[in-house]
Amino acid sequence: MSEERETRLFMISPRSMLTPDQLVRMVHSFGDEVLVKETCYGCLVEAPRVKVREILAKVRETYPNEVFSKIRAYRCSDPRRCRAQHGTRPGFAQLEEEWALLAKIQYGLDQVEKGASYSPKEDRKRLDVKAFKKICEVQ
Amino acid sequence: MTIKIAQLSCGTEYSSVQYEIEKAARSVGASIVYPDVSAADIDKAVEDFGFKPRSPQLKLMIARAAELASGRYEADAVFITTCFRCAEAALVRNELRRYIQEHTNLPVVTYSFTERLKASQLLTRMEALVTIVTRKELLARERQTGLTVGLDSGSSTTKAVVMENNKIIGKDWTPSGAVVVESATQVLNNALEQAGVSFDQIEAIGTTGYGRFTLGEHFKAKLVQEELTVNSKGAVWLANKQKGEATIIDIGGMDNKAITVRDGIPDNFTMGGICAGASGRFLQMTSNRLKIDITELGRLADQGDWRNAKMNSYCSVFGIQDLVTTLGEGKRFEDVACAACHSVAEQVYEQQLQEIDVRHPIIQVGGTSLISGLVTQIGEVLGEQPIVPPDSQYIGAVGGALLSSGFL
Amino acid sequence: MKIFIDPPNSLVLFDLVERFGHEPLSTMAAIQERVDNLEVDMPPMNVTLDDVVKGLKYAGIEVPSGIRGRMALWGPLIEEADAAIIMEDCPYSFGCVGCERSNLMIKYLVHRRGIPTLTVRYPETDEDAVNFVAQAKEWMEGLK
Repeated sequence: MSEERETRLFMISPRSMLTPDQLVRMVHSFGDEVLVKETCYGCLVEAPRVKVREILAKVRETYPNEVFSKIRAYRCSDPRRCRAQHGTRPGFAQLEEEWALLAKIQYGLDQVEKGASYSPKEDRKRLDVKAFKKICEVQ
Repeated sequence: MTIKIAQLSCGTEYSSVQYEIEKAARSVGASIVYPDVSAADIDKAVEDFGFKPRSPQLKLMIARAAELASGRYEADAVFITTCFRCAEAALVRNELRRYIQEHTNLPVVTYSFTERLKASQLLTRMEALVTIVTRKELLARERQTGLTVGLDSGSSTTKAVVMENNKIIGKDWTPSGAVVVESATQVLNNALEQAGVSFDQIEAIGTTGYGRFTLGEHFKAKLVQEELTVNSKGAVWLANKQKGEATIIDIGGMDNKAITVRDGIPDNFTMGGICAGASGRFLQMTSNRLKIDITELGRLADQGDWRNAKMNSYCSVFGIQDLVTTLGEGKRFEDVACAACHSVAEQVYEQQLQEIDVRHPIIQVGGTSLISGLVTQIGEVLGEQPIVPPDSQYIGAVGGALLSSGFL
Repeated sequence: MKIFIDPPNSLVLFDLVERFGHEPLSTMAAIQERVDNLEVDMPPMNVTLDDVVKGLKYAGIEVPSGIRGRMALWGPLIEEADAAIIMEDCPYSFGCVGCERSNLMIKYLVHRRGIPTLTVRYPETDEDAVNFVAQAKEWMEGLK
């Protein structure tokens, strides 16, 4: 299991000052024999699972709340999913959307670290029909 | 040159059919591409398009179509496909087909698939897309020259035509047998005999229909081409409508085709989908049940009224159930024959003609165009009597002979 | 604990589940299992006809094939899960979550399993995000 390959996507929050180039250099500096591919949002890392998890732990330690990560089903440059072969892959727009959200999540993690806690918010309710009728009548 | 077919789709990868789609495209020298869009493009495209589906993949389809329409992304043809039985996708699929046709000159084909889709089912459609893109010059050919032969190996019948200097000088047909080469050899020999020429004198051969590849190899044909484009050429030649616009309706033995042409060049088409229900096959089954020859069905139908024996041939199994029921109720054969023709006409209207923008005149061809009752019913359903040219069952063979002369 | 995430391909949810000490169950893992299988050649994802047929366990034959194929990927993950986190009102969900009917079915299957589930709204503002992260953290710490 530990020898099984893992391909992991690291994405830098848009609120971070870190660049993909810096992130890639950092991963390389760990000195491990891993495949690292710089991308517009961060990098892809591919290695046996144990190795990738070690890198993940180090990245989290160095950049705790500004680099996010998930596994990727396909190997780096897998022709079945490579953008150069067909055009964008189906999940591309999803990543773009989530990348934008990371800025807020980074802020959320920072605040929680500083002690912020969950406070339930009341759901926005629809206007009561009677109240709406009243408004209409006034108009 | 690889032809780029832009795929606008939902569900293909999760239905195990994407591989089959790409295989079909590859086999006709095309590749499947996806127009690039960003998340921001999607919002704008959906807003502009005005139809806001709930499923994000359908929104992505809309954005990809907008990229093609704007010309920002270049492709040669468009393939729009979604899961069979998904209503939301069917709405988007059809509206995008219309949108692409209104905003681009790209040939487009739509298809709704099940998980059982195989590449072979898409082959004719993909091949036609490629033919329209790559053989524009050949398709513009209006006159047959030299001494050529066209062979049409259809699902029900096999036809041969010998042409010389833009005239048919020999022709024959026979029901398709188990061995396509045998049926073709038989009709070819008879057509050659009628023409008074020998096989050695023939300068070029064109093959079409389901058996086109086998026949093409056997007879060393110069042209091996799918029936959508070949038939439409044959139709406009026979009807002498080489200029201007027209719609060709070909109700075949296994599937129905509707093709629009402009100056004799096909630009869009639709072909019956996953069921042979409302095709010539249903009329054959009706004739068998009535114990009459299919050549008599049309005349009988013209003497009846479909309103007296309602029937639905959407599915041939249910269609036959309707047939059994109406006959069981003691309905007149004339009314039953008429109802069968009306039902097929209705299905052609509801299925094929909704997927293209009908242009006038309407030319009805293929073996079934000899069934007068069916032509009458097509006319009634469409509100316009179609033109049936002479030798209308020979369209494929004529198209083959005409186009193969382009290789001389 | 094994936590099923919905959307099952979400980077944010995958990251937070791992960050707070659990194992996320995602589409990526289900697809990796397939694409690494060299005996199957059905690119791009190696979702096969067998998968689509297996999807009948979750949705009948009258349901479009794309939904059944997706269910074949997610159904076993939901069955394996000890808990689930669902983010509602995502502005977009693409790729494997491109079909809205399939997405509805996921939520229903999670509900039917009766496992501990946290349902959160997509955070629109920084303040929403603080609340979302805090809630997710507290909930996941409570699962241990």
